[in-house]
Amino acid sequence: MKPTKSDRKVLIAFLAPAVALVVLFFVIPVIYVAVVSLLKWNGLTSAEFKGIDNFVALFKDKAFLRSILNNVIWAATAAAIQVPLAMLMAIILSRKPKGWKFFRTVYFFPQVISGIALATMWRHIYNAESGLLNGLLRLVGLGHLATDWLGGMDTALPSVLIYWVFYVGYYMVIMMADITTIDESYYEAATLDGATPFQQAIHITIPLIKGTSLLTCVTLASVMGLRQFEQVYLLTNGQPANTTSTIVLYLYKQMQTGNYGRSSAAAIVLIIVGALFIVTIRKLFEDHKKDPKRVIEKEAK
Amino acid sequence: MKNMKKLLALVLALLMVVSMAACGAKKEESKEIVINFPCIWVGTDAKAPYMAKLVEEFNAANAGSIKVVIEEQTDYQAYRDKIRTLITTGNAPDIFSVDNPQELANFSATGKLMDFTSALEGDWKATFNDGCIDPYIYENGQINFLPFESAVIPLVYNTELLAEVGYNEFPATYSEMMEMFAKLKEAGYNACGQMAAENAWSSMLWYSQLVASIGGPDVYKNGLEDPAFVQAAEVLREMYNYTFDGAVSAAAADVNGHFIARDTAVYINGCWWIGNFYKEENAVDGKLLADVVDVTGAPTWEGGKGEGAVVTQAQAFLCAAKQDDPAKEAAIIKFLQYITEPTRISEWEASSGSMFFIEHEPAADLKEISKKFAAVSNEANFTVYTFAQSVPLAVTNELPAAVSALANDVVDAQGFVDMLIAARDNA
Amino acid sequence: MASMTKRLDKSGQIKDTILGIGKWILIVFFAAYTLLPLIWLTISSFKTNFEVLAKSPFALPEVWQFKNYHNALTVAGLGRMMLNSVFVGVTSTVINVLVASLAAYTISRFKFKGKEKLFLLFTVGILVPLNALMVPYFLIISKMGLYNTYAGMIILYTAIGIPMSTVIIRGLMDSIPMEIEEAAYIDGCGSFGRFIHVILPLARTGIVTAATFQFLTCWNEFVFANLIVSSDKLRTIQVGIRYFTNQFSTDYVSMYAAIVISIVPSILGYVIFQEQIISGMTSGAVKG
Repeated sequence: MKPTKSDRKVLIAFLAPAVALVVLFFVIPVIYVAVVSLLKWNGLTSAEFKGIDNFVALFKDKAFLRSILNNVIWAATAAAIQVPLAMLMAIILSRKPKGWKFFRTVYFFPQVISGIALATMWRHIYNAESGLLNGLLRLVGLGHLATDWLGGMDTALPSVLIYWVFYVGYYMVIMMADITTIDESYYEAATLDGATPFQQAIHITIPLIKGTSLLTCVTLASVMGLRQFEQVYLLTNGQPANTTSTIVLYLYKQMQTGNYGRSSAAAIVLIIVGALFIVTIRKLFEDHKKDPKRVIEKEAK
Repeated sequence: MKNMKKLLALVLALLMVVSMAACGAKKEESKEIVINFPCIWVGTDAKAPYMAKLVEEFNAANAGSIKVVIEEQTDYQAYRDKIRTLITTGNAPDIFSVDNPQELANFSATGKLMDFTSALEGDWKATFNDGCIDPYIYENGQINFLPFESAVIPLVYNTELLAEVGYNEFPATYSEMMEMFAKLKEAGYNACGQMAAENAWSSMLWYSQLVASIGGPDVYKNGLEDPAFVQAAEVLREMYNYTFDGAVSAAAADVNGHFIARDTAVYINGCWWIGNFYKEENAVDGKLLADVVDVTGAPTWEGGKGEGAVVTQAQAFLCAAKQDDPAKEAAIIKFLQYITEPTRISEWEASSGSMFFIEHEPAADLKEISKKFAAVSNEANFTVYTFAQSVPLAVTNELPAAVSALANDVVDAQGFVDMLIAARDNA
Repeated sequence: MASMTKRLDKSGQIKDTILGIGKWILIVFFAAYTLLPLIWLTISSFKTNFEVLAKSPFALPEVWQFKNYHNALTVAGLGRMMLNSVFVGVTSTVINVLVASLAAYTISRFKFKGKEKLFLLFTVGILVPLNALMVPYFLIISKMGLYNTYAGMIILYTAIGIPMSTVIIRGLMDSIPMEIEEAAYIDGCGSFGRFIHVILPLARTGIVTAATFQFLTCWNEFVFANLIVSSDKLRTIQVGIRYFTNQFSTDYVSMYAAIVISIVPSILGYVIFQEQIISGMTSGAVKG
C-alpha cells in the first residue's frame, strides 16, 4: 500500500511515539554505553580513553568467555528444547482433552510468579540437606545420587537450566492461540484421508504456525536466554567457579566493582551476539515466512 | 468497536492520572527543610527499631523546620548500586552510608560530598574514637566520611557441642582446632559453617581470620603475593571437609540457620548479629542460643606473624551530599550529631548489639554476649579489617568463584590465590 | 475423530492407546512439575525455621505457624506495594501496547524509506541489557523531573517494552491478509479508522501476547523500581520482598510466607483475568 499525502501525516503520527521512546531509551543510552566501552572509568573519577582495550581484556577473561558460552547454551536450550516441548503441549491441549482449561491455567502459573520467588523456591528445592529433590531421590532409593546441585561443577549449570526448561506455559499459550486460528477444514480433510493425529500435527499444525507463533516463541526464548540474568544471579550468583555466569551477570558484577568501561563493553558484545542470533533464526524460518497458508495448500495437494 | 473506544477512553484517563501524579510530586513547597536519607537500617535489620525511633523523635523535636525522610532500602547490593548511580549522576542523596572503605577514595574524588571538617571542630570530633577519622581523608584533604558503625568479628562456639567431644575450652592453636573439627565431624556435627554463594560471606570471614593469624598486621600491605594467602587457603579448603552438605551453594542465611539449629559448633560473624542470640524463636528446649555459646578470638598459628589477631570491619561510614544552602547543611549536621550523640549510641548498642566508632558509656543493660565481643576486641594484640575491606573490589568480587573452585577441588590453594591475583591484575 | 478410530485396525488401536497414555503422562507431569513445588513451598512457609532446616523435606509442620504470615505482613506493607505494582504494570502495559501497535501497524502496512532498517533497530533493542543502562536511565528520568513518581516508572517501563511489543505485534499483523483492510480502504475509512476498526481487532492475538509479556516484565522488575523511586508510597512488591531475602536474614519461614503472599494474588489475578487474556488470544482468530 502506498501512502497518500494524508497518509504520510498519519504515518508520522503513528510512528512518532514509538520512535521517540526508542530513541530516548535505547538509541541514546546505547550510544552512551558504546562511548563508555572505550573508556577506563569508574563512574566517579575522570575517565581515560583506552580504545578497544576493554574488549581485548574481555576476550582474555575466562569468566567472560564462559559467560558467552553459557548464554548460547541458554538460548539454544530454550529454543531447541523448551519451545518444542511447549509446542507439543500446545498441540495436545488444543485438541481439548478433559480438563484442558485447568491445565492451561496451571502451566502458566510460573509466568506470573516473580523471579525472586521462583529462585527462592528452587534454592530450597535444590538444597543438599533439606531440599525436595534430594528428599525424593532418597525416597525412591536413589540416595546415592543426592548432591549439592547448585554447588557442584557438573551439576550447577544443568540445574539452573533444567528447572526453567519445563516451564512451558508461556510459549504454549502463544502457540495454542495460533493453533486455534487454523481452519478446521484442513483437519477434516486430513482425517478423511486417514491421517493420524501425529501426522496431522507434522503436516498441518507445525507448518502453519512455523512462520508466526513458533517463530515468535523461538525468538522470545532465545532472547530470554541471551539476556538471562536474574535467575542465575539469585540461584548461584554465577558460581561455582563462574561456571553458571552469563554476560549480563558478568557486566553487572563489573559495574559493581566500578569497572564501567568493561561492563559497557560486555553490553556491546551481548548486543552483537544477540543480533547474530536473531538474524540466524530469521534465516532459518524465512522460507516459510512468506506465505505459510499457500505452502500448506501445496503440501496438502 | 465499542470496546476499542472504551480502551481509548481508558488510556486517556490513565494518561491524565499519570500527568497528575507527576505534577503532584513536584508541588511540595514549604519552608521545612526536607532531608532525604536512603537507609539500610530498616525492616528486619537489628538497628531498624532504634533508627526509626530516632528519626521520629528528631522530626518531632524539629517539627516545622526540619524533616528527615527515610527511604527504606531493603537489599544491600541494590543499595550500593543506587548510591553509586546517584553519585555518578551528580545526585548524591542528602545522607547515606557506605559499607566498604575500598570505595571511599573514589567517592571523595567526585567532590560531591559534604566536608565535615568545620562541623567537627569542637566537641563533636572528640566523641569519635581517637584516630578513626584520619585514615579516611583523601586527596582533597576533606573529612567526607564519618566512621560510624564498627564491628568485631570473633569466633562464637557452641559450648555443649564442644563439651560432647571433650573440650571445655576453645583450642589455642589452629592445628588443635582442626583436630577438634575432625572429632566434631565424627560425632555427627558440622564443625564450622562455610558458604560460597552470594558473596561467600562466612568463608570470607574465616579466610580473613586465617590470613591475619598467619600473615600478621601488615599482610595486606605485602599484597596477595604474601605466602600467608596460600597457607590460609589450604586451611580454608580443609574446613570445607568439616562443614554441612551443600556448603558451596549455601547462603549466609544457611550458615546462620545451622548454627541456630545447634548442629554446627563454631560460627564466625560480626556483632550486628548479637540480637539473634537472644531471640525467643531461636531457643531450643527453653535455652536461648546465648545460653549455650561462648566467644573467643582467633586461635594462634604456630610460627605465624599474627598472634592475637582480631578481625574487624568498618560497617558503615556516614556521608552527606555537598549542599549549596547553608541552612540545609546545618540541618543535616544537626541530624548527624543527633544520631551519633554518645548516650544514644549506648542505647543503640544495647538494642542492636552493634558497635560504633563513637566513645560512649556502655549501657547498663548491655547484653552478656556484647560484653564478650567487646572483651575479645580489647584483648586483641592487633586488629585487621576483613579481606573484603582490605583488597580491591575486583578481588572481593572474584572471591566466591575462587572459594567455590577451591571447595570443588578445581584449583588448589595456589590456584585459588592465582584466581584472586588475576582478578586484581585484570581490573 | 470418531470416524477415524473406527477405521483403524487393531495395531492402530494399540498405538492409539499408547499415544493416549503418553499424552496423559505429559499432561500430568507438567502440571505436577508446576504445582508440587508451590504446594511444598506453601507447607514450608507454615513450618518453624528448625523444621525447614531438618533433613526431612516431606514432614508436615508439627504446629502450623500462622505467625510467619503475621511477621511477613507487619514488617513490610506488602498490600500497598501490591497495588502499586498492579497500577504501574497495567498503566504501562496499556500505553506500551497502544504505542507499539501503532508502530507495528505502520511498519507492517506502509511502504516507506528505511522501514526495514527501522524495524531492525527495534529488533536489536530487544537485546539491550538494561542493567548496563542504570546511569543513563537515571539521568533521563531525573532530567524529565520524574524521579520518584509513578509517571517515571510508567514511562520507563513503557519504553523498555516497546521493541519487544512492536516485534511481536508486527509478526502478527503481517499475517493479516491485506484484502480485508483494502476493503475498508475502499469503503472510505481513514488510516486511524482502519487501525481501530479493522486491524486492532484482527491483531488481538499478538496484542495480548505482547501485553502479557509487558505486564510480567513490569511485575517482576526490581532494579529500576528501586533506583528511580525513593518514597515508600510508590514502592512495588519486588522491593518489598527484599525485606526478607537480604543476606542478613535468618528467618526462612517469614521469607517463604512473604513469597507465598506475593504469589497468591498474582495467581488469583491470573485465574480471574485469564478468561479475558486467553479468550483475547484465541478469539482474535484470523481464519486462513
